Amino acid sequence: MGKNATCRGGAAADEVSRRTFLSASAAGVVLSAAGAHEADAQAASRRNWDRSADVVVIGAGVAGLPAAITARDLGASVIVVDENYDIGGRGILSGGRVHLGGGHALQQKAGIKDSADQIFADWVRHDTADARYSDRDLVRAFADENVSTFDFLIENRVKFNERPIGPERASTVPRTFVTVEWHIPSQLIAPGRGRSGSGLVRQLEVAARQKGAEILLQHEMKSIVREGDRSGKVLGIVTSHNGTVVNIEARRGVIIATGGHTGNVNFRRTFDPRLTEEYQQACMPYVHQGADGELAAMEIGASLWATANQTAEAGSAITKTRHIGCRWGYATLVYQPESPMFHLAKAAGLTVTDWQDVIFVNQAGRRFWNEADGSYKFFAAAMAYNGDPSRLNGGGPIWAIFDADATAREKWDPKPPNVDPDGFFFSADTIVELAGKISSPYQKKPISGTVLQETVNRYNGFVATGVDQDFKKPTPMYKIETPPFYAAWSTPILHDTLTGLRTNPNAEVIDIHGEVIPGLYCAGESQGGFAQHGLARCLVFGRIAGRHAAKRTA
Amino acid sequence: MTDGLATHATVIAMDQPTEVTVGADFVLTVLLSCPAGCDLSGSPVEATAPDGVTTTVLPATGDADVAARRVALKAPLEVGEHVWRLCCTAHESDGWHHDASLVEVPVRTRPHETSLAVWAIPSPVMVGQPFAIKVGAKSAAGCNLTGMRIAVCDEAGAVLASDVLGDTPWPGTNALYWRELTLVAPAEAGMFSWSVKFAAAELALPHRGAVSYFSIVIARPPEHRLIVKVIEQKTEAPVENAQVRLGAYRAATGAAGFAEFMLPEDSYDLDVWKSGYEAPSTPIVIDADLTVEIAIAALPEENPDAVWLM
Repeated sequence: MGKNATCRGGAAADEVSRRTFLSASAAGVVLSAAGAHEADAQAASRRNWDRSADVVVIGAGVAGLPAAITARDLGASVIVVDENYDIGGRGILSGGRVHLGGGHALQQKAGIKDSADQIFADWVRHDTADARYSDRDLVRAFADENVSTFDFLIENRVKFNERPIGPERASTVPRTFVTVEWHIPSQLIAPGRGRSGSGLVRQLEVAARQKGAEILLQHEMKSIVREGDRSGKVLGIVTSHNGTVVNIEARRGVIIATGGHTGNVNFRRTFDPRLTEEYQQACMPYVHQGADGELAAMEIGASLWATANQTAEAGSAITKTRHIGCRWGYATLVYQPESPMFHLAKAAGLTVTDWQDVIFVNQAGRRFWNEADGSYKFFAAAMAYNGDPSRLNGGGPIWAIFDADATAREKWDPKPPNVDPDGFFFSADTIVELAGKISSPYQKKPISGTVLQETVNRYNGFVATGVDQDFKKPTPMYKIETPPFYAAWSTPILHDTLTGLRTNPNAEVIDIHGEVIPGLYCAGESQGGFAQHGLARCLVFGRIAGRHAAKRTA
Repeated sequence: MTDGLATHATVIAMDQPTEVTVGADFVLTVLLSCPAGCDLSGSPVEATAPDGVTTTVLPATGDADVAARRVALKAPLEVGEHVWRLCCTAHESDGWHHDASLVEVPVRTRPHETSLAVWAIPSPVMVGQPFAIKVGAKSAAGCNLTGMRIAVCDEAGAVLASDVLGDTPWPGTNALYWRELTLVAPAEAGMFSWSVKFAAAELALPHRGAVSYFSIVIARPPEHRLIVKVIEQKTEAPVENAQVRLGAYRAATGAAGFAEFMLPEDSYDLDVWKSGYEAPSTPIVIDADLTVEIAIAALPEENPDAVWLM
């Protein structure tokens, strides 16, 4: 893995949805050369497979790797494809917090009493939005497979710290245990950031390879091949490898483990039209959640499920930036200069320890909420319509405005590589001048210097009196007055995909008529119906999918 | 028109800014063409500036059919509308006689902007007491503003203090020239909105002046001593470096958890702020010397993953 590693997927602005493409062709629009090639390739692939395996897994992440291992354990041949240059998906950048319970060995060692029934009871609770909208058939299957999934991880090299964490969210007993970070720094994507999920996916990768699963990197799934357009069993997939079409037959099943849709602007706006292009996706630029699996499955008839979960305003679908002045300042993840992603990420950001040190302004240069708040009320205000008739959806960029005194209090060094001056960080001698410097592809109109100066003056008045009359920020502490002044990108960043393809408890994908699509499975963030945050549901349903697919008759 | 020889017209079109700042460098893109399609890439074009200086507009390389040329110009130092003249003299090209053509290019010039900063404002200030603030001005063109006058005015516009800007930009800035001004607080308590004014009238390069407003809290003389001790709710240990606020008054606790205030008689909301702690607001009446103890609750230790983010 070198410093010049390329990232997975494309920028949101470059997205062309597969659905849009098909609609255009159906309407008689002339196919592009690439599109015609893809269509031809799909037709040809039904006769000429370049590769073949019993089970084909799309995505080498937290759902795909357990699926591959489980299928191999049952004797199936397995090919895993991933569009990225390396394995891991978002899991390799995760905190490695595995939320499995049911009374497994580490829980017992810590004296925690738990059971599958308790997991089920917790995660169908009506009094928490994390659990309220889930498909209880899926929750039941999840609960029943917790202990066996934990044992599976131990058997497949994964190591855990033994300190339990929790209870968290809907859970009523501690269930979270953290994996041990991968030990080879050169194989980390975000070294030095405690991304313990690397120890989960790297160990599973080793296990999968040792057991004979073949992992094909830089193979981008382009489509899923079914006998008929929307009928019959699934036969395989079409991939693209360095521009070459590679058709891969799946004799028993195809497992979608592509990791969700959060990075696909058009797709995510299906659920929340406010989520326009300015909202970046956590874990970019390493991994793009492009809705590839969802779109490919929907083309052959699949349906979505439990979509209320995406907008239930629980969990981490939308998050507040904690590292400002860089494009992807997700709460627990930034890319420091030693990361192989740094040449794309460009800055590590300024880590905010006290929200008293900044004010947030919207694209119009006005404060919109109490900066110390991080609730969904904050996000709603950040995404509110703020007077630009050319931009009715989305709230536009959010900028943290602060002064030289704040940099001293926070011990920030507001220069590269800590900040990205190419559209995400600006400095100036006066507030008016600062407003004129703020320029970003996402900032459609310049901020008025007069407006920004008025905003700062008003806030400084609140600091003088100790009372925020506009948004009730608790005892506003510090004026923004000492030159130079700064504006740092602080736009909310999107994290969890909480809805996706409809499946039954066997992880078989269901079509729009409620019927199983034979041979098609889904696990991980692309699977709808269970909104629990994090790694556990990916691991559990990855195993379930791998097991069921391996047992299908070819 | 040349006797006995058919002629073609020439057309000059251009793309130019309608407004630039005084003294700014800008680029004019000139498109010279013949309606009959002759190659005019070598044809002569001249630009005459408002001061009468003429420049030859050289053809750009690589443009064949339409002679697109770019000429770098400099705006005059005076604010107003200025006219450049572009002329293609009569000439022969491509075997045809081409008529002369002339167009005028009006460009408006505007003054450079200035902007202001006001900082180090003490709060609150006792009635009738002298105090100092810092004021600075910045030219958008980065001009040296040393010696330019800057003033602080009250709400009615009366000048409260005035001085000239110093000769060194404020540390960390590119060109924010500044001065510390001494003022005297009004005789009445309250919150005042004053302004800083910078006329920018004496600069060689025209600048637009600027006004910026700031708030200042003027308080009555203190009458009573308030001592606030801040402790942690469970352990009752003193909390150091907690910010204690009573309206405009603030102080930080020391190692023993104490913060001390001198306050005029009044009713206040006593607020304590420290990152990682939670404390309710406490109403308090100051009519004598007083010592109070405030217990604040430590929030669970912050873990970046505490909200279960991945």
